[in-house]
Amino acid sequence: MSGAAVRRVSGTAAVLCGLGTWLPPHAVTNDDLARELDTSDAWIRSRTGIGTRFIAAPSTATSDLAVEAGRRALKSAEADSVDAVVLATTTPDHPCPATAPLVAAQLGLGTVPAFDVGAVCTGFLYALATGAGLIATGTAGSVLVIGADTYSRILDPADRSTRAIFGDGAGAVVLRSGGADEPGALGPPVLGSDGTGSDLITVRSGGSREPLHTTGPIGTGDGGDAGDTNDAGDAPQPDPYFRMAGKAVFRNAVERMADASLTAARRAGWEVADIDRLVAHQANLRILHAVADRMRLPRHRCPVHLDQVGNTAAASIPLALSHAAATGRLTPGHRTLLTAFGGGLTWGACALRWPALTPM
Amino acid sequence: MSSTYDRLVGLLTKGFGVEADEVAPENTFEDLELDSLALVELTLAAQEEFGIPLTDDDLHAKNTMTEAAGVLDAKQVTVR
Repeated sequence: MSGAAVRRVSGTAAVLCGLGTWLPPHAVTNDDLARELDTSDAWIRSRTGIGTRFIAAPSTATSDLAVEAGRRALKSAEADSVDAVVLATTTPDHPCPATAPLVAAQLGLGTVPAFDVGAVCTGFLYALATGAGLIATGTAGSVLVIGADTYSRILDPADRSTRAIFGDGAGAVVLRSGGADEPGALGPPVLGSDGTGSDLITVRSGGSREPLHTTGPIGTGDGGDAGDTNDAGDAPQPDPYFRMAGKAVFRNAVERMADASLTAARRAGWEVADIDRLVAHQANLRILHAVADRMRLPRHRCPVHLDQVGNTAAASIPLALSHAAATGRLTPGHRTLLTAFGGGLTWGACALRWPALTPM
Repeated sequence: MSSTYDRLVGLLTKGFGVEADEVAPENTFEDLELDSLALVELTLAAQEEFGIPLTDDDLHAKNTMTEAAGVLDAKQVTVR
Protein backbone atom coordinates (compact mmCIF):
# COMPACT_ATOMS: atom_id res chain seq x y z
CA MET A 1 0.00 0.00 0.00
CA SER A 2 3.07 2.22 -0.19
CA GLY A 3 2.39 5.46 -2.00
CA ALA A 4 -1.21 5.62 -0.89
CA ALA A 5 -2.92 8.24 1.16
CA VAL A 6 -4.00 7.18 4.64
CA ARG A 7 -7.12 5.05 4.40
CA ARG A 8 -10.13 7.18 5.27
CA VAL A 9 -13.19 5.79 6.90
CA SER A 10 -15.82 8.33 7.59
CA GLY A 11 -16.43 8.32 11.31
CA THR A 12 -16.30 10.32 14.44
CA ALA A 13 -13.15 8.99 16.07
CA ALA A 14 -9.45 9.64 15.50
CA VAL A 15 -7.68 6.32 15.09
CA LEU A 16 -3.95 5.88 15.75
CA CYS A 17 -2.59 3.93 12.75
CA GLY A 18 1.16 4.62 12.54
CA LEU A 19 4.09 5.15 14.94
CA GLY A 20 7.63 6.30 14.24
CA THR A 21 10.53 7.48 16.41
CA TRP A 22 14.02 8.88 16.09
CA LEU A 23 16.92 9.41 18.47
CA PRO A 24 20.12 11.25 17.65
CA PRO A 25 23.05 8.80 17.55
CA HIS A 26 25.26 10.30 20.30
CA ALA A 27 24.67 8.59 23.67
CA VAL A 28 25.75 10.25 26.92
CA THR A 29 26.05 7.89 29.90
CA ASN A 30 25.89 8.79 33.59
CA ASP A 31 29.64 8.14 33.78
CA ASP A 32 30.15 10.65 30.95
CA LEU A 33 28.27 13.26 33.01
CA ALA A 34 30.22 12.35 36.15
CA ARG A 35 33.45 13.25 34.37
CA GLU A 36 32.15 16.80 33.88
CA LEU A 37 29.86 17.46 36.84
CA ASP A 38 29.69 16.67 40.56
CA THR A 39 27.52 13.59 40.17
CA SER A 40 27.74 9.81 39.82
CA ASP A 41 25.99 6.91 38.14
CA ALA A 42 24.58 5.78 41.51
CA TRP A 43 23.31 9.29 42.39
CA ILE A 44 21.55 9.73 39.04
CA ARG A 45 20.08 6.22 39.00
CA SER A 46 18.73 6.38 42.55
CA ARG A 47 17.07 9.76 42.02
CA THR A 48 15.81 9.40 38.45
CA GLY A 49 16.18 5.82 37.18
CA ILE A 50 18.03 7.18 34.14
CA GLY A 51 21.15 5.52 32.73
CA THR A 52 21.67 7.08 29.28
CA ARG A 53 20.36 9.93 27.19
CA PHE A 54 20.95 10.95 23.57
CA ILE A 55 22.17 14.37 22.52
CA ALA A 56 21.75 15.97 19.10
CA ALA A 57 24.84 17.05 17.15
CA PRO A 58 25.36 20.83 16.94
CA SER A 59 24.15 20.81 13.34
CA THR A 60 20.92 18.97 14.24
CA ALA A 61 17.81 20.99 15.17
CA THR A 62 14.37 19.94 16.39
CA SER A 63 12.98 19.89 12.83
CA ASP A 64 15.64 17.36 11.80
CA LEU A 65 14.55 14.98 14.58
CA ALA A 66 10.87 15.64 13.79
CA VAL A 67 11.30 14.90 10.08
CA GLU A 68 12.97 11.56 10.79
CA ALA A 69 10.26 10.50 13.25
CA GLY A 70 7.51 11.77 10.94
CA ARG A 71 8.92 9.86 7.97
CA ARG A 72 8.92 6.67 10.01
CA ALA A 73 5.39 7.22 11.30
CA LEU A 74 4.12 7.68 7.74
CA LYS A 75 5.90 4.48 6.71
CA SER A 76 4.39 2.66 9.69
CA ALA A 77 0.94 3.89 8.57
CA GLU A 78 1.79 2.85 4.98
CA ALA A 79 1.02 6.35 3.77
CA ASP A 80 2.89 9.13 2.02
CA SER A 81 0.46 11.94 2.64
CA VAL A 82 -1.66 13.37 5.47
CA ASP A 83 -3.97 16.38 5.65
CA ALA A 84 -2.30 18.24 8.53
CA VAL A 85 0.80 18.30 10.74
CA VAL A 86 0.76 19.20 14.44
CA LEU A 87 4.15 19.45 16.14
CA ALA A 88 4.54 19.58 19.92
CA THR A 89 7.80 21.18 21.01
CA THR A 90 9.32 23.52 23.58
CA THR A 91 12.49 23.85 21.51
CA PRO A 92 11.44 25.05 18.04
CA ASP A 93 14.16 25.67 15.46
CA HIS A 94 13.53 29.42 15.86
CA PRO A 95 11.25 31.61 18.03
CA CYS A 96 9.53 32.50 14.72
CA PRO A 97 8.16 30.93 12.55
CA ALA A 98 6.70 27.68 13.86
CA THR A 99 8.72 24.55 13.03
CA ALA A 100 5.82 22.39 11.74
CA PRO A 101 5.52 24.00 8.27
CA LEU A 102 9.21 23.32 7.60
CA VAL A 103 8.77 19.73 8.78
CA ALA A 104 5.72 19.29 6.53
CA ALA A 105 7.65 20.66 3.56
CA GLN A 106 10.66 18.44 4.21
CA LEU A 107 8.38 15.43 4.39
CA GLY A 108 6.97 16.35 0.98
CA LEU A 109 3.50 16.92 2.37
CA GLY A 110 2.88 20.04 0.27
CA THR A 111 0.76 22.91 1.57
CA VAL A 112 -1.15 21.14 4.32
CA PRO A 113 -1.96 23.08 7.50
CA ALA A 114 0.96 22.77 9.90
CA PHE A 115 1.50 24.40 13.28
CA ASP A 116 3.28 24.00 16.62
CA VAL A 117 1.66 23.31 19.97
CA GLY A 118 3.37 24.39 23.18
CA ALA A 119 2.53 22.50 26.35
CA VAL A 120 6.06 21.54 27.39
CA CYS A 121 6.18 17.87 28.47
CA THR A 122 2.42 17.51 27.99
CA GLY A 123 2.84 18.74 24.41
CA PHE A 124 2.34 15.37 22.75
CA LEU A 125 -1.04 14.82 24.41
CA TYR A 126 -2.17 18.37 23.61
CA ALA A 127 -1.09 17.82 19.99
CA LEU A 128 -2.86 14.45 19.92
CA ALA A 129 -6.07 16.06 21.17
CA THR A 130 -5.65 18.87 18.62
CA GLY A 131 -5.15 16.35 15.83
CA ALA A 132 -8.24 14.45 16.94
CA GLY A 133 -10.11 17.76 16.91
CA LEU A 134 -9.05 18.47 13.31
CA ILE A 135 -10.48 15.09 12.37
CA ALA A 136 -13.68 15.56 14.38
CA THR A 137 -14.40 18.89 12.68
CA GLY A 138 -13.73 17.50 9.21
CA THR A 139 -10.75 19.84 8.76
CA ALA A 140 -8.56 16.81 8.09
CA GLY A 141 -9.10 13.14 7.37
CA SER A 142 -5.63 12.28 8.64
CA VAL A 143 -3.06 14.08 10.79
CA LEU A 144 0.62 13.57 11.52
CA VAL A 145 1.18 14.35 15.22
CA ILE A 146 4.82 14.78 16.22
CA GLY A 147 6.50 15.36 19.57
CA ALA A 148 10.10 16.53 19.17
CA ASP A 149 12.49 18.28 21.51
CA THR A 150 16.16 19.21 21.70
CA TYR A 151 16.46 20.07 25.39
CA SER A 152 20.25 19.84 25.23
CA ARG A 153 20.06 23.34 23.68
CA ILE A 154 18.29 24.91 26.68
CA LEU A 155 19.99 23.11 29.59
CA ASP A 156 22.42 24.98 31.83
CA PRO A 157 25.76 23.20 31.30
CA ALA A 158 26.46 23.57 35.04
CA ASP A 159 23.08 22.21 36.26
CA ARG A 160 23.67 18.59 37.19
CA SER A 161 20.03 17.84 37.93
CA THR A 162 18.51 18.89 34.58
CA ARG A 163 21.47 17.60 32.59
CA ALA A 164 21.04 14.18 34.19
CA ILE A 165 17.36 14.06 33.36
CA PHE A 166 16.82 15.38 29.84
CA GLY A 167 17.70 13.94 26.45
CA ASP A 168 16.83 14.78 22.84
CA GLY A 169 14.48 12.81 20.60
CA ALA A 170 11.34 12.69 18.51
CA GLY A 171 8.29 10.49 18.10
CA ALA A 172 5.27 10.70 15.84
CA VAL A 173 1.93 9.04 15.22
CA VAL A 174 -0.52 9.15 12.34
CA LEU A 175 -4.19 9.67 13.17
CA ARG A 176 -6.96 8.96 10.69
CA SER A 177 -10.71 9.30 10.74
CA GLY A 178 -12.42 6.11 11.81
CA GLY A 179 -14.92 4.42 14.06
CA ALA A 180 -14.93 4.67 17.84
CA ASP A 181 -14.96 0.87 18.18
CA GLU A 182 -11.83 0.31 16.10
CA PRO A 183 -8.53 -0.62 17.75
CA GLY A 184 -6.47 2.57 18.03
CA ALA A 185 -9.51 4.86 18.39
CA LEU A 186 -8.72 7.59 20.90
CA GLY A 187 -11.07 8.05 23.82
CA PRO A 188 -12.02 11.58 24.86
CA PRO A 189 -8.74 13.31 25.80
CA VAL A 190 -8.53 14.75 29.32
CA LEU A 191 -6.50 17.99 29.43
CA GLY A 192 -5.85 20.57 32.12
CA SER A 193 -3.67 23.50 33.11
CA ASP A 194 -2.85 25.59 36.18
CA GLY A 195 -1.03 28.82 35.42
CA THR A 196 -0.62 29.62 39.10
CA GLY A 197 2.29 27.16 38.86
CA SER A 198 3.80 28.78 35.78
CA ASP A 199 7.01 29.59 37.66
CA LEU A 200 7.78 25.96 38.53
CA ILE A 201 9.08 24.98 35.07
CA THR A 202 10.56 27.82 33.02
CA VAL A 203 12.91 29.23 30.44
CA ARG A 204 12.66 32.72 31.90
CA SER A 205 14.30 34.88 29.26
CA GLY A 206 13.90 35.12 25.52
CA GLY A 207 10.21 36.03 25.38
CA SER A 208 8.27 39.32 25.54
CA ARG A 209 8.53 39.54 29.35
CA GLU A 210 12.30 39.36 29.30
CA PRO A 211 13.81 39.65 25.82
CA LEU A 212 17.38 38.49 25.43
CA HIS A 213 18.47 41.34 23.17
CA THR A 214 20.17 44.33 24.73
CA THR A 215 18.58 47.16 22.77
CA GLY A 216 15.73 48.86 24.60
CA PRO A 217 12.13 48.09 23.72
CA ILE A 218 10.46 50.03 20.93
CA GLY A 219 7.95 52.74 21.90
CA THR A 220 9.25 53.57 25.36
CA GLY A 221 11.67 56.29 24.39
CA ASP A 222 14.22 53.90 25.76
CA GLY A 223 15.60 52.57 22.56
CA GLY A 224 14.79 51.46 19.08
CA ASP A 225 17.65 53.44 17.54
CA ALA A 226 20.53 51.50 16.15
CA GLY A 227 23.38 51.42 18.59
CA ASP A 228 21.24 52.44 21.55
CA THR A 229 21.75 49.99 24.39
CA ASN A 230 19.45 49.27 27.24
CA ASP A 231 20.67 50.40 30.63
CA ALA A 232 20.04 47.23 32.54
CA GLY A 233 20.16 49.01 35.92
CA ASP A 234 19.06 46.62 38.65
CA ALA A 235 17.33 44.23 36.26
CA PRO A 236 18.28 40.59 36.89
CA GLN A 237 20.66 38.89 34.51
CA PRO A 238 18.82 37.19 31.66
CA ASP A 239 18.46 33.44 32.15
CA PRO A 240 18.13 31.56 28.86
CA TYR A 241 18.16 28.14 30.52
CA PHE A 242 15.50 25.63 31.46
CA ARG A 243 14.77 25.61 35.22
CA MET A 244 12.64 23.28 37.27
CA ALA A 245 11.58 23.37 40.94
CA GLY A 246 12.10 19.66 41.52
CA LYS A 247 10.11 18.99 44.69
CA ALA A 248 6.98 20.91 43.75
CA VAL A 249 7.10 19.51 40.22
CA PHE A 250 7.42 15.96 41.54
CA ARG A 251 4.32 16.23 43.65
CA ASN A 252 2.21 18.03 41.04
CA ALA A 253 3.27 15.51 38.41
CA VAL A 254 2.21 12.55 40.53
CA GLU A 255 -1.15 13.99 41.53
CA ARG A 256 -2.09 15.42 38.13
CA MET A 257 -1.08 12.39 36.06
CA ALA A 258 -2.81 9.96 38.42
CA ASP A 259 -6.01 12.00 38.56
CA ALA A 260 -6.09 12.66 34.78
CA SER A 261 -5.48 8.96 34.11
CA LEU A 262 -8.31 7.91 36.38
CA THR A 263 -10.64 10.40 34.66
CA ALA A 264 -9.63 9.18 31.18
CA ALA A 265 -10.15 5.57 32.27
CA ARG A 266 -13.57 6.37 33.69
CA ARG A 267 -14.59 8.13 30.47
CA ALA A 268 -13.51 5.04 28.55
CA GLY A 269 -15.64 2.91 30.86
CA TRP A 270 -12.61 1.18 32.44
CA GLU A 271 -11.95 0.24 36.05
CA VAL A 272 -8.35 0.48 37.27
CA ALA A 273 -8.08 -3.32 37.01
CA ASP A 274 -8.96 -3.03 33.30
CA ILE A 275 -5.91 -0.86 32.53
CA ASP A 276 -3.33 -3.12 30.86
CA ARG A 277 -0.71 -0.41 30.28
CA LEU A 278 -0.19 3.10 31.59
CA VAL A 279 2.29 4.75 29.24
CA ALA A 280 3.26 7.86 31.17
CA HIS A 281 5.52 10.75 30.27
CA GLN A 282 8.97 9.44 31.17
CA ALA A 283 9.83 12.16 33.67
CA ASN A 284 11.48 10.18 36.44
CA LEU A 285 11.16 6.54 37.52
CA ARG A 286 10.11 7.54 41.01
CA ILE A 287 7.30 9.66 39.57
CA LEU A 288 6.11 6.70 37.45
CA HIS A 289 6.05 4.46 40.51
CA ALA A 290 4.27 7.06 42.63
CA VAL A 291 1.62 7.56 39.92
CA ALA A 292 0.99 3.81 39.74
CA ASP A 293 0.83 3.56 43.55
CA ARG A 294 -1.62 6.44 43.81
CA MET A 295 -3.85 4.78 41.19
CA ARG A 296 -3.43 1.38 42.90
CA LEU A 297 -2.15 0.05 39.61
CA PRO A 298 0.61 -2.60 39.68
CA ARG A 299 3.87 -0.83 38.83
CA HIS A 300 4.77 -3.38 36.15
CA ARG A 301 1.89 -2.10 34.04
CA CYS A 302 3.80 1.16 33.51
CA PRO A 303 6.37 0.58 30.75
CA VAL A 304 9.73 2.20 31.49
CA HIS A 305 11.93 3.67 28.77
CA LEU A 306 13.63 6.56 30.55
CA ASP A 307 16.47 4.32 31.76
CA GLN A 308 17.67 4.24 28.13
CA VAL A 309 16.80 7.72 26.81
CA GLY A 310 16.11 10.01 29.78
CA ASN A 311 13.24 12.47 29.74
CA THR A 312 12.72 13.45 26.10
CA ALA A 313 9.96 15.98 26.85
CA ALA A 314 7.31 16.04 24.09
CA ALA A 315 8.83 12.95 22.48
CA SER A 316 8.67 10.69 25.51
CA ILE A 317 5.24 9.09 25.04
CA PRO A 318 5.67 7.97 21.40
CA LEU A 319 9.23 6.81 22.23
CA ALA A 320 7.95 4.80 25.21
CA LEU A 321 5.10 3.35 23.12
CA SER A 322 7.49 2.28 20.40
CA HIS A 323 9.92 0.69 22.85
CA ALA A 324 7.12 -1.12 24.70
CA ALA A 325 5.65 -2.43 21.44
CA ALA A 326 9.05 -3.50 20.11
CA THR A 327 9.86 -5.42 23.31
CA GLY A 328 6.45 -7.10 23.57
CA ARG A 329 5.42 -5.11 26.63
CA LEU A 330 2.57 -3.53 24.64
CA THR A 331 0.53 -5.75 22.35
CA PRO A 332 -2.55 -5.26 20.16
CA GLY A 333 -5.73 -5.15 22.22
CA HIS A 334 -4.07 -3.80 25.37
CA ARG A 335 -6.25 -1.23 27.10
CA THR A 336 -3.74 1.58 27.16
CA LEU A 337 -3.71 4.92 28.95
CA LEU A 338 -1.37 7.72 27.92
CA THR A 339 -0.64 10.44 30.46
CA ALA A 340 1.70 13.40 30.79
CA PHE A 341 2.52 16.40 32.95
CA GLY A 342 4.61 19.43 32.11
CA GLY A 343 5.35 23.11 32.45
CA GLY A 344 2.47 25.54 32.37
CA LEU A 345 1.52 23.72 34.44
CA THR A 346 -0.21 21.36 32.03
CA TRP A 347 -1.35 17.75 32.14
CA GLY A 348 -3.42 15.27 30.21
CA ALA A 349 -4.47 11.68 29.62
CA CYS A 350 -6.06 9.67 26.84
CA ALA A 351 -7.32 6.09 26.51
CA LEU A 352 -7.06 3.78 23.54
CA ARG A 353 -7.03 0.09 22.74
CA TRP A 354 -3.59 -0.58 21.28
CA PRO A 355 -3.86 -1.30 17.53
CA ALA A 356 -1.94 -3.80 15.40
CA LEU A 357 0.84 -1.78 13.80
CA THR A 358 4.57 -1.95 13.21
CA PRO A 359 6.51 0.90 14.85
CA MET A 360 9.29 2.19 12.64
CA MET B 1 4.23 5.13 71.29
CA SER B 2 1.14 6.39 69.47
CA SER B 3 -0.41 4.35 66.72
CA THR B 4 0.35 7.28 64.41
CA TYR B 5 4.03 6.76 65.12
CA ASP B 6 3.72 3.05 64.38
CA ARG B 7 1.87 3.70 61.14
CA LEU B 8 4.51 6.26 60.12
CA VAL B 9 7.24 3.70 60.74
CA GLY B 10 5.13 1.22 58.76
CA LEU B 11 5.13 3.58 55.77
CA LEU B 12 8.90 4.01 56.02
CA THR B 13 9.58 0.28 56.17
CA LYS B 14 7.11 -0.52 53.39
CA GLY B 15 8.22 1.97 50.77
CA PHE B 16 11.53 3.57 51.71
CA GLY B 17 13.99 0.79 52.40
CA VAL B 18 14.10 1.52 56.13
CA GLU B 19 14.26 -1.38 58.62
CA ALA B 20 11.85 -1.06 61.57
CA ASP B 21 14.62 -1.69 64.10
CA GLU B 22 16.69 1.16 62.59
CA VAL B 23 14.05 3.74 63.48
CA ALA B 24 14.04 5.51 66.84
CA PRO B 25 11.68 8.30 67.95
CA GLU B 26 14.53 10.84 67.99
CA ASN B 27 15.71 10.00 64.43
CA THR B 28 15.15 12.67 61.82
CA PHE B 29 14.23 11.91 58.20
CA GLU B 30 17.71 13.12 57.36
CA ASP B 31 19.18 10.52 59.74
CA LEU B 32 17.21 7.88 57.84
CA GLU B 33 18.73 9.17 54.58
CA LEU B 34 15.45 10.26 53.01
CA ASP B 35 16.25 12.75 50.24
CA SER B 36 13.97 15.65 49.29
CA LEU B 37 12.04 13.60 46.73
CA ALA B 38 11.56 10.81 49.26
CA LEU B 39 9.95 13.33 51.61
CA VAL B 40 7.49 14.24 48.85
CA GLU B 41 6.81 10.55 48.27
CA LEU B 42 6.28 10.05 52.00
CA THR B 43 3.95 13.08 52.12
CA LEU B 44 1.83 11.54 49.34
CA ALA B 45 1.83 8.13 51.04
CA ALA B 46 0.90 9.65 54.41
CA GLN B 47 -2.01 11.54 52.84
CA GLU B 48 -3.38 8.19 51.65
CA GLU B 49 -2.62 6.31 54.85
CA PHE B 50 -4.15 8.87 57.22
CA GLY B 51 -6.78 10.36 54.89
CA ILE B 52 -5.58 13.91 55.56
CA PRO B 53 -4.38 16.73 53.29
CA LEU B 54 -0.68 17.53 53.67
CA THR B 55 1.35 20.33 52.07
CA ASP B 56 4.99 20.08 51.02
CA ASP B 57 5.84 22.09 54.14
CA ASP B 58 4.34 19.72 56.69
CA LEU B 59 7.16 17.17 56.82
CA HIS B 60 10.76 18.39 56.99
CA ALA B 61 14.10 16.62 56.66
CA LYS B 62 15.01 17.80 60.18
CA ASN B 63 11.78 16.55 61.81
CA THR B 64 12.20 13.70 64.28
CA MET B 65 9.78 10.79 64.00
CA THR B 66 8.06 12.02 67.18
CA GLU B 67 7.63 15.48 65.71
CA ALA B 68 6.35 14.09 62.40
CA ALA B 69 3.84 11.87 64.21
CA GLY B 70 2.74 15.00 66.11
CA VAL B 71 2.15 16.89 62.84
CA LEU B 72 0.09 13.98 61.50
CA ASP B 73 -1.92 13.78 64.74
CA ALA B 74 -2.68 17.48 64.67
CA LYS B 75 -3.94 17.20 61.08
CA GLN B 76 -6.16 14.26 61.97
CA VAL B 77 -7.74 16.23 64.79
CA THR B 78 -8.45 19.07 62.36
CA VAL B 79 -10.05 16.68 59.89
CA ARG B 80 -12.30 15.19 62.57
